[in-house]
Parts: sequence; structure tokens; C-alpha cells
Amino acid sequence: MTAAAFLPWLIVAMVLVAAVQIGRRVMLWRAGKTARVDWLAGLKALPRRYLVDVHHVVDRDKSASRMHVPTAGGLVLASGLLVLGLVPALAASRVYWAFVALAFLVMGAGVVLEVRRRYPRALPRLSLGRWQRLPVHLGVFAAGGLLTALLAALGNPLPALSFVTFLAAAAAGLALAGTAGTGPMRHALAGATHLVAHPRPRRFDPASQKGEATGLRPLDLDAEKLGAETPADFAWNRLLAFDACVQCGRCEAACPAFAAGQPLSPKHLIADLAAAAGGGHARPYAGMPYPNERAVGGAAGLDAPIVSPEGLVHPDTLWSCTTCRACVEECPMMIEHVDAIVDLRRFQTLELGAVPMKAEEPLAHSRGCDEPNGRPLFERTDFAAGMSLPRIVEKGEAEVLLWLGQAAYDLRGQRTLKALIQTLNSAGVDFAVLGGQERDCGDLARRLGDEATFQRLARANVETLSRYRFARILTADPHALHVIRNEYPAFGGSYDVVHHTAFLAELVESGRLAPASLAGRAITYHDPCYLGRYNGEVEAPRALLDALGLERREMARSGKRSMCCGGGGGAPSADIPGDTRIPDIRMGQVKETGAKTVAVACPQCTAMLEGVTGDRAEVKDVAELLWEAVEAGRRTPAGAAPARELQPA
Amino acid sequence: MIANAEALLKPLTIKGLTIRNRVMSTSHAPSYGKDGKPQQRYQLYHEEKAKGGIGLTMFGGSSSVSMDSPAAPWNQISVADDSVVPFFREFSERIHRHGARLMIQLTHMGRRTKWDTEHWLPVKSASATREPASRAIAKALEQEEIDRIVADFAAAARRCKEGGLDGCEISAAHGHLVDQFWSPHSNHRTDKYGGSLENRMRFGIEVLSAMREAVGDDYVIGMRMSGDEMLKGGLSHEDCVAIAAEYTSRGLVDFLNVIGGQARDHIAHAISLPNMSFPVAPFLSLPSAIKREVDVPIFHAQRVTDLATGARAVAEGHVDMIAMTRAHIADPHLVKKLSEGRADDIRQCVGAGYCIDRIYVGGDALCIQNAATGREATMPHVIDKAATRKTAVVVGGGVGGLEAARVLAERGHAVTLFEKSDRLGGQINVASRATWREALSGIPRWLVSQLQKLGVDIRLNTEADEAAIAALSPDIVIVATGGLPQKGEAKGFEHAVTTWDVLEGRSQPSGTVLLYDEIGGHNAASTAEVLAKMGCLVELVTHDRMIGEEIGPTNQPVHLRELYKLGVLMTPNSELIEIYPEGNRLIAAIRNTMTDAEEERVVDAVVVDYGTLPVDDLHFALKDKAKNRGLTDDHAIVAGEPQPFEINGAASGQGYTLYRIGDAVAGRNIHAAIYDALRLCKDL
Repeated sequence: MTAAAFLPWLIVAMVLVAAVQIGRRVMLWRAGKTARVDWLAGLKALPRRYLVDVHHVVDRDKSASRMHVPTAGGLVLASGLLVLGLVPALAASRVYWAFVALAFLVMGAGVVLEVRRRYPRALPRLSLGRWQRLPVHLGVFAAGGLLTALLAALGNPLPALSFVTFLAAAAAGLALAGTAGTGPMRHALAGATHLVAHPRPRRFDPASQKGEATGLRPLDLDAEKLGAETPADFAWNRLLAFDACVQCGRCEAACPAFAAGQPLSPKHLIADLAAAAGGGHARPYAGMPYPNERAVGGAAGLDAPIVSPEGLVHPDTLWSCTTCRACVEECPMMIEHVDAIVDLRRFQTLELGAVPMKAEEPLAHSRGCDEPNGRPLFERTDFAAGMSLPRIVEKGEAEVLLWLGQAAYDLRGQRTLKALIQTLNSAGVDFAVLGGQERDCGDLARRLGDEATFQRLARANVETLSRYRFARILTADPHALHVIRNEYPAFGGSYDVVHHTAFLAELVESGRLAPASLAGRAITYHDPCYLGRYNGEVEAPRALLDALGLERREMARSGKRSMCCGGGGGAPSADIPGDTRIPDIRMGQVKETGAKTVAVACPQCTAMLEGVTGDRAEVKDVAELLWEAVEAGRRTPAGAAPARELQPA
Repeated sequence: MIANAEALLKPLTIKGLTIRNRVMSTSHAPSYGKDGKPQQRYQLYHEEKAKGGIGLTMFGGSSSVSMDSPAAPWNQISVADDSVVPFFREFSERIHRHGARLMIQLTHMGRRTKWDTEHWLPVKSASATREPASRAIAKALEQEEIDRIVADFAAAARRCKEGGLDGCEISAAHGHLVDQFWSPHSNHRTDKYGGSLENRMRFGIEVLSAMREAVGDDYVIGMRMSGDEMLKGGLSHEDCVAIAAEYTSRGLVDFLNVIGGQARDHIAHAISLPNMSFPVAPFLSLPSAIKREVDVPIFHAQRVTDLATGARAVAEGHVDMIAMTRAHIADPHLVKKLSEGRADDIRQCVGAGYCIDRIYVGGDALCIQNAATGREATMPHVIDKAATRKTAVVVGGGVGGLEAARVLAERGHAVTLFEKSDRLGGQINVASRATWREALSGIPRWLVSQLQKLGVDIRLNTEADEAAIAALSPDIVIVATGGLPQKGEAKGFEHAVTTWDVLEGRSQPSGTVLLYDEIGGHNAASTAEVLAKMGCLVELVTHDRMIGEEIGPTNQPVHLRELYKLGVLMTPNSELIEIYPEGNRLIAAIRNTMTDAEEERVVDAVVVDYGTLPVDDLHFALKDKAKNRGLTDDHAIVAGEPQPFEINGAASGQGYTLYRIGDAVAGRNIHAAIYDALRLCKDL
């Protein structure tokens, strides 16, 4: 017997060991709640999801895709070939062993590339520990396999050496298989299964609107327990998703809260959620700690509360999230971090009433006044007194229903809305507002976990909207847009909702507005998360700005990969302290472009960015820039019209 | 952002009439009326406020309803016949276009007017009394005349409604006919209109009832009234509260516009229009007290110069609408700037009273610091960008130079400002050292903050000379080097010091001081106050018929009050003819200009004010090299048009054009310097 002849059996042993390990994980997943999964469709879609969707994300970091393709490809190829080696005729062929050696060589090349990402110094976002040792194990396995197969291909000239190389491969291979349930290699099977049984299959459907796959799911308010308290409260495929994490840290690098020194790292959180299901006090985490980490007791287990000073995750971590979805956008394993955070928040808010102190007031107002700041609904249109702002209750129907949102109560937001209203009037748009009948859309309540208040507001708004006839809902607030467009359908309200940037771009394109050129000014555009990432709208605002003749300078992070202003998800209400403020970081990125104006398209972004002190770019909503151009286009050179002079009698 | 801004930006609905915010301008008489009608100038003046975001602008202070209350004295509006209606229509359309509301004040002035104008009808009042301020003796009204005036008010209200105005108020303040009936001071009647308060209120009730009948219940009618006449024998605060409660409970008025004080003589008039010597909102307690007793909205004006004070007054519930009338004269875009988050850009009223002082001496209302107000047909409140960017140099950081630099920078030019001293503000830095004149410093403070925002290159402690200017290769050079005080031509004038020497601390006299004034402005009067407060025994001598003859009626009484209180001896009609030393003291010889009698004073110091002479060396050093030889075309300047030299091609090519503005041309005042700058630079 040559040493190489044991290689197929090594693979069999590895598979068996791994199967046992994974089986223990599967038992954990099964403790999660049931979830409806279309296995057949998922399996059919798997190749495309893996080769297109996953690859699209992985490939943003070329060093990762260049590393992973040969490593995983080589490993799978070598293993597959070796299983065929159980056929005696093949095992006797030196050509066969040459192919096996080649497969290990490919794998080894991939491992070398991975080693270069980690040694002598790993990229800061990567986890160390077992993840740092992974390329060593893979490398020893590949090298051992390569040499053993190569010696077999050469006719086994050095049998003693080939036993040594085989034993090295066996040790490394079994070490990998032995930690397949808890170590880095877990990602392979969990990741593939997650792609098949993904809780949001629509995100892979190229035909579906982006927003359809980003809206939150309604919570059954009659359920025995509301929201997620323990790992067992998550759906099984969510537990599966946590196990798919490869701790690549792309989420962490994109997370605005992490950057601002708030105690949140999406990577750490997902690792904690995976560890929580496993139980025990071990937290085999070797990434960067949560910034300004709050001490926790570390108690874990399928039925142990996760978010608690005694548990694995401190409440401050949970409330630091802006729900910007940058982590989701960056995740190569397609994990839905924000869903998990909202599930956990729902339990904290609905079952424990444990919301951050400063978030209590907006929630109480939302419950009592249908408005997070406790202002009377009929005052929503106060800002527009003296302007032409038709109420739909008077008209009964209108082409466009203008949803004013929270901005109507805020002096800064009012400037944007005034510009928008004047623009609509100037273009002769048939529009109207709900006026005093418009309640808050419920975005804030929902993101702060108060699903009951959200559902009540959603149902009330849907009922109000059902009384009037309109073709489209127009809004300058991406949060309202997202909630009404993507989350109200679950409550019986399906509407054609359009963001003002897209609507105004239509008006300009169709010639209903004649803006003058604002050429000579450089601007940069800040994508609102709920418009760009959540709803995929990154083109219209840019098209509009370009139509105004403005010189558009892009920030390094823009479009769907833009950075949050810090204003979403109730984060400003939760107000978890960090080292700096998210908008300060974003304004610094604005400054790097040299543009003196940052164009925005969301009242939250406006408020957050304008809150930055010191010398900074001017913050202008796209609607304000357009109105400025429209006004400039209308200005008559003659100046004021003369009044009648008294005629002599 | 100011505190409570949202309280100001809430709409107010009165009888279905929605006013978009809580900021208004009260009816006043800027003297822009023409032939008794609000024509172009008047309308553009108010339109600017409407563009600037004001909620309600009220025009036509003391607009007359009857021929025996002539509109002529302040070029006011006559609503006594239908010919005014088309002008009202045009006016209200103009204001409504911008979302603002427009109302007028209607009145019969009774004895508070002149009989020797327009129709030469005797003035009328409740009784045959004389008002010190107007110096007219009234004829007591007979019943038939009362009925006729009541009908005149009703007809005038109908004209307001027909003209599309959003409402009107009657004036029952400042001693007009309605409050002449109210006040026991002026009403000595024994019939049903006199005696008890109930009887004295009757005329006003008849007026408002008739107006209500003429326009219906849904038309907004208000009343301006005092909350306390603060006059012995006049209406007490309790009387005023009782009147307010009675009139509102009868449903006669939809709002009350409450002031403090009255205006029967010079000092009362000055107090009712508080200048910069008063704290802000000095009489806010009066409308607040009346608001507690009535259930109609309360308006109030009286030295609310800043939005923060106005916002507090509304937020705390003292008033429903805050009137910032003079504040809008200084900056008609007040509300717009607030709601655009540009509150820092508001040019705040300093309370100089220049606007109102001018109208009482037959002039038109002009703002001491905003030369565009009242000149909207030719002067812009928002400066347009120039087609080409030029390089400009302004020499001198007084208000003329600052305004020139501001306007040129707003035009988009690259501006460098040279200032010899270490401070910007020029002569205002001197004037504002004089006790209550301190608030003048607000004028340069705003201008400097604008220059900083506009990125003007400000070079302090730098005297501009030919080489320094040439180094910048300017296209435009503005010489605003101002003036310096002179000591006059009296024999021995070298023994005198100037008011500047005293205010700037170079001279600190003690003992007996003779202060001689040839100008009649604030300078000598305020310096006399400073000297007296330093402990000097001061005699203020002037060539004029009275002290401070050039100072207007809202400021002069305050000067006089202070000078009397401080024991300053006031000697008008006298000329300083000689100063000579005797021992360690001085002898000042003065001559009575009427009798030629000469007197001598033994004093420790002689302080003089003869105004300033231009500092023009630099101008003449540059003149010969300038493409326009330093000349300004007066026809174009007066018409508000570009300088012909700049647009007819003569200015093209190498070199600069040179202009001289402000006191560097001839010693005048703050407004003159700022207007010189604006009207020239807006087209450069």
C-alpha cells in the first residue's frame, strides 16, 4: 500500500467527521422557529445565487475572489477526485495522481494568496485566531496532499516521505473537519444551505424591485412572545445564516456606528448570535472588539436571553444600529443583519419596554399623538400658510398625493418642502396633501421595535388613503417612501410611490420645468440609505443634478455603497455615545471632494449633516437646487413691475 | 437659530383669514403716498416685505376717512372717496401674490392734525381743546358731525373691502378722535358722549358698529389702542383694560393692536416710539395684560427689533402677532432669512429712529443703514451678480467703505478693503461711545459680518497708498476715507478740543466746559451728556434756535430730557467768536446772534463740533491716473443707473476707475455714506 492510497479514505473520514460536527449544528438550527422554505426553488437557484449574487459581492474585494476561487475550487476538485480514487483501477493510474496533484496545486495557490492577506499582518477587518490559523491548516493539507499525490504520480520513489506528507495532510484535514461545526469551515455548508433556504429569496430575483426585498416583515402581534429574546426565538434559517458568517469584516468596515466608535460591529454581532445558539461561555471571537465595548456577563444558550448585560450582547450594541443596511449590502454570505437587529429590538421594546431613555418620548408621542414629536397633526401644513397647497379633502382626488412627512414640522425640512411645493405649482402638477389627516408613517416606531404602534399607524394611514383617489404618492422623505411603498402592502395598501428626485427628474425631462443652468458650481451627492440601498434609486437624483449643469463630484462611498448620515433606525433618538458622530465622518468625506455644497434627498440626512459644526459644505436638498434653478430661469431682467401712476383728471 | 422660532412661524387664523406667520408690520406713514393714494413707491416698499416672508403688512398709518382729517400732512392715504379703491385692488393683488396679508389703518385724527393744509377746514374734537403736539385748537363736534364721521368710517371700511384688503383697523391710539372721546383729558362733553367711561366709549362703539354693518361680520376689523396712557388725567391701565373688554365682548373688533403711552407732546411722542435709549420691548407688559382679559388676538409693536424678542413674546403668550415695523425697514427679508436658516444675515434695526424722524420734518422714511428701503424701484435689497468678475479696492473701513465692499463682493468681485486703524466702523466707533448711542455699533457689526461671509480681504492697520493699490491691479478703486473733525474759525480755535477728542478719550476735561455746536446733530448733544456724566459743569452753546435742531422728534426729546436731568446749561442763538487762555483756564467769548451782545465765560475746556472735512489726499493722488479722473456721473447716480463711463466702453482697457463716496466727499451722515456706496456699487 502506498501512502496515496489512503488519501481517498482520508477524505471519507473527513466527510464523516464533518458530518457529525455539522449534524450537531443542524440540531441547533432545528431548535429555531419554523420558516417556510421553498427547497426546490432554492436548490434550482443555488448555482446562480452562488456564482452571480455571491460572486458579485465577493469580487468587490479582488484579493478575496482571487483567493477563494482556487482555494475552494481546488479543495472541492481534489476531494472529488480522491473519492473517485476509491475505484482501484484509478488509484493505480499515475495520470490520475497527476490530476489530483494538480487540484491540490490549485488549492495551494489559493492558500498562498490567502496567506498574503493575513501575513505578516492581517487586514484589520479580518478575524484572527482560528481564522488566522485556517490558511495554515489548508496549506498543510494542500501541501501534504500535493506531495503525496505527486510522489504517487512519479511512481512512489520515496515511500517514507510520502507517508510523512500523508500524515501531515491527514492531521490538517481532520483538524479542519473536526471544527466543521464551530470553526471557520462551517461557512461552507452553512453558507450553501443559507443560499438555498434564504429567508429573503426575492433579493436574488433580478426582476423584483429592490425595495420588495428590503421591507421588514410584519410581526404577529398575537404571538405568545413578541420579537426575539433567545436564539430559539429566531427562525431556523436565521440561525443558519449566523453560522454562514466568514468573519470577513466587510460589514464592520462599512458600519457607520463602528466607524464612530459606538459599540457595534455587525460582524461581532453575527458571531455573537452564532455563539449564543451554541451555548457555553466560550466566545471564540478573535476580531476587533466592539468599540468602547460594554462589559457583558456572557451567558449563552438556545434559551438564554441574548441582549442583556448578563447575556452576550449589550443593549447599547443593539441600539447603535442606524438600520442603514450597509452591512447587508457588503455581506458576501447574504446575511440579513438588520432583520436580526429589528427582531431583537422588537422583544426589548414590546416585551420589556427597555428602549433607550431618549427614545421613550418619540415612541410615547407616536402612540398618543400619531406623531413622534407630539405635535398636532393639523399643524403639519402650518409652514405652508400663504402658499398654494391644496388639501385632498377639498379636492377629493388628485393626480399626485404629496406625503409631507416629519419634515413639515421642522424649519429646515420646511425649506425643502417649500421648494418642492413651489416647483410643483410652477410645473402645473395636479397635487394635494392629506393635511391634518396625515399621520406619521411609522418608520421610527417600527425601527425602534415598536411594531404595534407601527401597525396601528400603517392601518390608519391605509384607511385614510383609501378614501381618496390619486395615481401616485410623492414624497421627499425616503423613509416614508420605503415604508409606504414596501411595508404598507402587508396592511392592504399598495401604492405607486415616487421619490421627489425621480418625480422632479421626470418633470425636467418632459420639459414641464425650465431650470436655468447652475453651471460653475461643484456639488457632491449624498445617497440616502433608504433611497439608494433600500430602494435602488441612485440614478434619478444624479440625472437631475446633471440636468442643472452642476459639476458632480462623487464621494468614495456613493450609490448603493454610500455611507449613512447617522439619522436612520431611530439612532438619533437612541443616541448611544461613541467617539465621534457619524455625520461628522460623512461630512469629512464630503470635504474630500472639495465641493462646497452637498446635495441631499432626505430630511434626516439634511438634519444630520447640517448638525455638523465648523467649516463645512452647505447642505442643499436636490429640490432646493432645482427650485433655485427654476427661479433663476424665470427671473425677468426688468425687475419689479411698475405700479399704476395716478392719471391726471 | 433663535429660540422659539417655531412660535413665530405658526399661522394665525382670524375669522377665516389665515396669516402665514406671527410677524407683522404695523400701519405707519412713510410719507410715500402720492395724491392721497398708495402708488408705485408705496406698493413696492410693502411688496418687498411680502417677498421677504412677512405674515401681515399693514400700511397707511392714520389714513383719513374724512375731509376734516386731511391726508396731506405725512403724504398719507385718503380713504374718504371711492377713487382710492382701484389702488387698493392693485396693492392687495401685489401683496397676495407673495402669500402675505395686507391691511390698512383708518382714522379721524380729530385735533391731532393741521387746519392749514389741503382743505383748510378747522380741526374737530370731542371738546374745544388744544393738543400741545399739533398746536391746533379744535372745534367741538356737533351731533350731526358725529353722525357724518361715523358714516365716513363705515364708507371707508367698505372701500377697504372692495379694494381687496384683508382687513382694517381703526386708530384709537396716539390721541386720535376715537380716543379723544375716551380720554377725560380731551373729552369735557356733558351729553351722551361725555362724562362716564360708558358715555366716552359711545363714539367708538358707534364707529365700529357702523363699519361692521357696512362690511358684514366676516370682514376683519381691529383697533389700535393704548394699554396705559401713562398720563395724569388720561386713560389709566384699568380704563384701557375696561375699554378693551367692552369692545371685544360686543364683538366689535377681531383683534386689538396695543401700544403703551400716548403722543400728546414731544416727550410722550418720543416715548411711544422708543429709540435706542430704551430697552427692547419696553411696553410688552401692556398687551400681555390685555390679552388676559379678552379673547381676540393681540398685536403689539414698540421697539421689538430682534426676532428672538419677538419669538419670546409670542411663545410666552404675551401677544399673538409681533409687529416689527422698524425692524422691517432695516431688513424687509426678516422672516425669509429666519425660515431659511440665515438669521445671522438679518440686518437688525438699531433703533436710531432715522426713518420716523424724517417724516416729522417733511421728509420720506429712509433707513439709516439700509438705503434700498423705500427706493425699491431703483435700489435692490438683493444684489445681482455682475457678468464679469472684477478686482476692486475699497479704501476706508467706515460704513461707506464697508457698504461699498459688501455690495461689490455681492456682485461677485474680488474685494480688498484697506483700513488704517485696527478697527472697522469708522466714525460710528466714535459716536457709539456716547452713552445710549452705543447701539449704533450694530450698523458696522452687521456689515463686517457680511464682509467676512463674502470673503472680502480685510487689511486692518494698513494705510493704502498708490503702490499698495497698484500692486493689486484693481479695476475699481473706491475712496471712502471719510473725514476728520475741524476746530472752526473762531480766533484762538487752537485752544479748543473736538467732540471726537472727548469721545475717544484723548481729552478728559474736568471742571467747567463750554461745548459749542455748529451742526445741531447728535454729536454735541451726546458729548454734552458724556461730559456731564464725567462730572463737568457743561454749557451747551449753539448757533441754532434750539439745541439739537437737526435731531428728529423721536430722539431730540430724549437728548433734552437727559441734558436737563444732568443740569447742562443750554444756550441757543449764540456763536463762539474767540478763545484765549487766562492763567490755567480759558476764556470763551460768545456772541448772541440776535442781539450781537458779547459775553465771556471762564472755563476749563472748550469743546467744539463743526463736523468733518474730507480726508482726500489719496483721492487726489490717484485722480490723474484714473480712467474716469475720479468723477461720478450724478445723473446716472440719481436715476439709479450704471455709470455711463463703465458701460459705454470707455472703462475697458488697462487701469482703474476711481470713485469717492461718503464723508470723503463732504461731511454728511451715515445714510448718505451708505446710499453713496449702494447706488454706485450695485451697477459696478
